[in-house]
Amino acid sequence: MKYAIEAEALNINYGKTPILWDVTFQIPKGLLVGIIGPNGAGKSTLFKAILGLVKPLSGKIALFDGPAPESRKRIAYVPQRESVDWDFPITALEVVLMGRYGRLGLFGRPRKADREAAGAALELVGMSAFADRQISQLSGGQQQRLFIARALVQEADLFLLDEPFAGVDLTTEKAIMELLRHQKQLGKTILIVHHDFLTVEEYFDWALLLNTRLIGYGTVQEVFNRENLKKTFGKSQLLFAEAAILAAKSQSGIL
Amino acid sequence: MMISFWDFFIDPVLRAPTWGCILMCLASSLMGVLIFLRKRSLLAETLSHATYPGAVIGVSVFALLFPLHEEWTFIAVLGGAFASSWLGLKAIEWMEEKGKVRTDAALCFVLAVFFGVGIVAASAMQSALPVWQKQVQMLLFGQAATMTDVHIAIYGCLALTAALFLFLTFRPLQSSLFDRDFSISAGIPVSILDRILFWLLLISLIVGIRSVGVVLMSGMVIAPAVAARQFSNRLQTLFGLAALFGVLSGFLGNYLSVMGSLAFSQQGQKMTLPTGPMIVLVGTIFALLSLMFAPKRGLAFRIGRILAFRLRCLRENILKGIWKKESLSFDQLKEAHQISPLFLRYVLFRMKREGWLSRKEKRFGLTFDGRQKAASIVRLHRLWELYLAESLGQQVENVHRTAEEMEHILTPEIEERLTRLLANPTHDPHHQPIPEKHESILGN
Repeated sequence: MKYAIEAEALNINYGKTPILWDVTFQIPKGLLVGIIGPNGAGKSTLFKAILGLVKPLSGKIALFDGPAPESRKRIAYVPQRESVDWDFPITALEVVLMGRYGRLGLFGRPRKADREAAGAALELVGMSAFADRQISQLSGGQQQRLFIARALVQEADLFLLDEPFAGVDLTTEKAIMELLRHQKQLGKTILIVHHDFLTVEEYFDWALLLNTRLIGYGTVQEVFNRENLKKTFGKSQLLFAEAAILAAKSQSGIL
Repeated sequence: MMISFWDFFIDPVLRAPTWGCILMCLASSLMGVLIFLRKRSLLAETLSHATYPGAVIGVSVFALLFPLHEEWTFIAVLGGAFASSWLGLKAIEWMEEKGKVRTDAALCFVLAVFFGVGIVAASAMQSALPVWQKQVQMLLFGQAATMTDVHIAIYGCLALTAALFLFLTFRPLQSSLFDRDFSISAGIPVSILDRILFWLLLISLIVGIRSVGVVLMSGMVIAPAVAARQFSNRLQTLFGLAALFGVLSGFLGNYLSVMGSLAFSQQGQKMTLPTGPMIVLVGTIFALLSLMFAPKRGLAFRIGRILAFRLRCLRENILKGIWKKESLSFDQLKEAHQISPLFLRYVLFRMKREGWLSRKEKRFGLTFDGRQKAASIVRLHRLWELYLAESLGQQVENVHRTAEEMEHILTPEIEERLTRLLANPTHDPHHQPIPEKHESILGN
């Protein structure tokens, strides 16, 4: 049991445009990994391929040293917040309970234990007071906390979070990061699609740089450098990324 | 002829249409909630139109094979309608997946083609099978009056199946409607749910065409869901309310059709109010009234809230204006606020009575409470200006306009956060002092 995810020569097309092109990597267990790349680089698609929501043209994905389908129940997926209709008639607690429906089957009802687990998860993300709120009455940060709570009750070993910090206030971002670090200490593997260069070094052990093809993956110190960012973001974004790294270094006293 | 209200439920002739319509509407309104929440309302429209060619061809084939068994035609109608509607569904899926056609285009195309074929086939029957054509013509707008107890049984079974399905799979169903990708990833059998849902939808559409008709059936599916959505934010309640609206429209539509036809016929001329359109009309009226008058979401209440907000803005602006100048005369106030003098007088009178304003020698001043309130509005205004200028780097000349609006909107919580972010500032970007957060005796 060494790797949480192994991808081998993964190719995914949408119509005729390649989304992922010959992507091969192995991610060891127990790491916090940042997936970094520009818009349309195939980051969300990579998650969907791991989850089996998108069928690759060719290539293989293995989870926990075995075939992917057998281990998919061990994944907790946090989709992009904008991917759902927040006007849907459902309460905060019911959203968190969704994390338990997978194991309850087609005719399952949430048991008392499930309800208590959902309540505890709400407590953990600081949302107990909002349990019976309809979800449209929550702020962006609160909605994101809800998604995190839902992932927590799944009791998964692998977390896939798609832009969990997009449109979220700083307090929530820090709180979520704290929860995820705790999950990591419990031996869980966590993959996060991330956009803010400034926090990459602070948040992650590993980085995976992606722009249709895999630019690099490994420890943040190894791969999160000028050369790779240039490859990932092309010329126009280079200056910005460079400045961001410089800023991060100045703030942490390296320069 | 006198018909009492209860006759509709027990009279051997009247009860079949009544119960038939009620049960049919119950089933279709439950299904309607599901496709309404999946945002695929047009699908019901297309699929119900797509039943027509199948029904026509089914009846024709039946007429040729068993010309002496007219009482069993409904089997041919159901079978044919089912087959062609299913074909329509497959055609839509095929066009979307293989042809890369946009969903709305595929829906329109299938609707037009299938319904067109149905109409052509029906006119072909006119010369070849004139007697049977009536059976087919009836399906366009439905005919409830000729229903029998068999229909009660069929519709009852359907309504029960639909309700049972919703009850048993409620949790996974809710999950898959809200967040499909997550539900698949969590191992919820979404594709099985989808398949059951579409079969039930198809069946409820097909049995519905008997009483409401091909053309109007989708209205009956969607209207109760639209009406119910206005009242509730809980899915359980939504289903309950939609069922209630469905049952009421089914009953009232049939009731009005029978009573209306009777009333009009008594005046010499014979005139019938068709049941199907009456049912849809009642359902639509429910939906319309809900859209207008439902608390919270209804249009009337939203307009009311907009007016209340404008009134609050006016009152706060009056307070602010007087605060800056210590006191103002009525004419000065009239000049500052472009509203009718009479209404302004009324607002000022109310504000005085509520204890915000005082009036001395024809000039309006502020009471102690009024001053506190005005200062807190000015504080919000200037905090916002400072935030725009300092934290967002906007030009100082441009910040005033949005602050005029935000001063009425910012909540105490946002004020708190602004204060912390700007480190409890004392002056705004125009070097005006920012009033301190007032420490009233109540401590807020």
